[in-house]
Amino acid sequence: MTDFLQNCIDGVMFGSGYALLALGFTLVFGVMKRLNLSFGPSIMLGAYAGTWVYLNFSQNALLIVLVTVITTVAVGIYVERLCFWAVRRDAAIASMVSSFAIWMQLEEVAMHLLPERTYPFPTFFTSTVIDIGPFFVRSEHISMFLLTLVLLALLHLFLFRTRPGLALRAVSDNPLASTYMGINSSNIFFLAFAVVSVLGGLAGFLILSADSQVTPFFGLWATFKGLIAMMLGGMGSLTGAILGGLLLGVVEANAFWYGGPLIRDISAYLLLFIMLIVRPGGLVGQRIVTQQQAAYERV
Amino acid sequence: MLEVKSLSKNFGGVKAVRELDLAVNAGDIIGVIGPNGSGKSTLVNLISGVFPATAGEIIFQGQSLSKLSPHARVKAGVARTFQNIRLFPGLTVWQNLWVARNSAEDTRAEGISYRWFRKSGPVKNEIDAMLEFSGLADKGDELASNLAFGEQRRLELARAAATKPSLLLLDEPAAGMNHDEIRDLDRRIRQLRQQGMTIILIEHVMDLVMGITDRIAVLNFGSKIAEGEPAAIQENKSVQEAYLGQSDDD
Repeated sequence: MTDFLQNCIDGVMFGSGYALLALGFTLVFGVMKRLNLSFGPSIMLGAYAGTWVYLNFSQNALLIVLVTVITTVAVGIYVERLCFWAVRRDAAIASMVSSFAIWMQLEEVAMHLLPERTYPFPTFFTSTVIDIGPFFVRSEHISMFLLTLVLLALLHLFLFRTRPGLALRAVSDNPLASTYMGINSSNIFFLAFAVVSVLGGLAGFLILSADSQVTPFFGLWATFKGLIAMMLGGMGSLTGAILGGLLLGVVEANAFWYGGPLIRDISAYLLLFIMLIVRPGGLVGQRIVTQQQAAYERV
Repeated sequence: MLEVKSLSKNFGGVKAVRELDLAVNAGDIIGVIGPNGSGKSTLVNLISGVFPATAGEIIFQGQSLSKLSPHARVKAGVARTFQNIRLFPGLTVWQNLWVARNSAEDTRAEGISYRWFRKSGPVKNEIDAMLEFSGLADKGDELASNLAFGEQRRLELARAAATKPSLLLLDEPAAGMNHDEIRDLDRRIRQLRQQGMTIILIEHVMDLVMGITDRIAVLNFGSKIAEGEPAAIQENKSVQEAYLGQSDDD
């Protein structure tokens, strides 16, 4: 039992990283009703830029965070203009396929930037073990968890308290009506990608910093984990993304403890498989079908 | 203030609107009536920019609307409601109005405080007044999806008005309403006119149209077959044949 609870604590800590990635997917999906497959790779490229600065210029933590986030945002906006803005609104598949093409392109760029594949990623968390009764937590996981909470709070403030945040939610709620309330949805798409990229860049930094290395596979990894976590929670739902991320973290941590690394990776897909059969809408996302229908209803 | 000049819209082979001319003076309430499929909704969709016209022009306050995208038309002062309600279901009533009010005009000068937190600023008073206007004063923090049908209709009207338009297009605002609700709607539309809005009203409920409008245009098969004051329209022979007189045949 203690083992199980300990695994759950670890899982929640690490799952908070998944939750951030899932939020990135779910925000874009909510606003545009399209999937952005190159979300993970754009974070990977941001992380590579961060590592590149770290290896060549400076070991200042703040600077590296900034470079990582700014590069991720720049790449995110590049993806938005190329795959989403340029492609017609009702051509969701075209956007997804072109975002897959951009994924390949981004990986190639990363290879050219740093040709040796695996690089150290700067670690700024001092690793100590903190005991809490019979349980323990690694300090870098606590830092990651707390920073995630801060980010979630900021995201909440942005979405629920600011004018652009509210406009974003309006577009996500009813794209057609928002246009006739004077909202330029093209600007909102741009904004959504910028916000999501900031989240992604920070998530990437936190996860990689706890891992202390970065490889070109991080793009694939981040896209998969984010997508799975989002689908577990329910596509387009913010709460769902957070719950899905935490659930994925907990299940993986337990699978790893009881079954080893191979079982851990399988468990994620198995969990998704079960969820899609038992509750196709995800934990909280049962409304998604009607929402999409509403979006494409004729005027 | 609005001039529609030989406006046409074809959907494939179907001519939904043909060579339509319509002039609207500032401060008027214009009714547009006609049988189903006569092009009334198409006219509203053309003015609000849902789709481009096949031919013809729409001049609004001396400016051609055809080059403007739908959201830019809202900023220019053309707002609309929808026949089937299109609120933001996941936003509260207050936020529904706030989104509309914020997009209405450039509010950057109003300071950051109101932009970030809704509890302050002059805009709050305006929106509270809109809530009062639509009889939803006690429902401001309710999610729009939790409102009853009649309340949703009222919010839809208030939200369009919150964009502070000079021209308001109402697409069958009375659909599904009972007698009392229609009387309320009548009062609200008059109130909006007093606030300086020009209104184009598309409606099937004849009591409302005949009582409230200054002029009525009658469409049939996409063409205007009559235009005039409500009393004259009621007397008009071709209108009776096309529309009102349908009951004579039964």
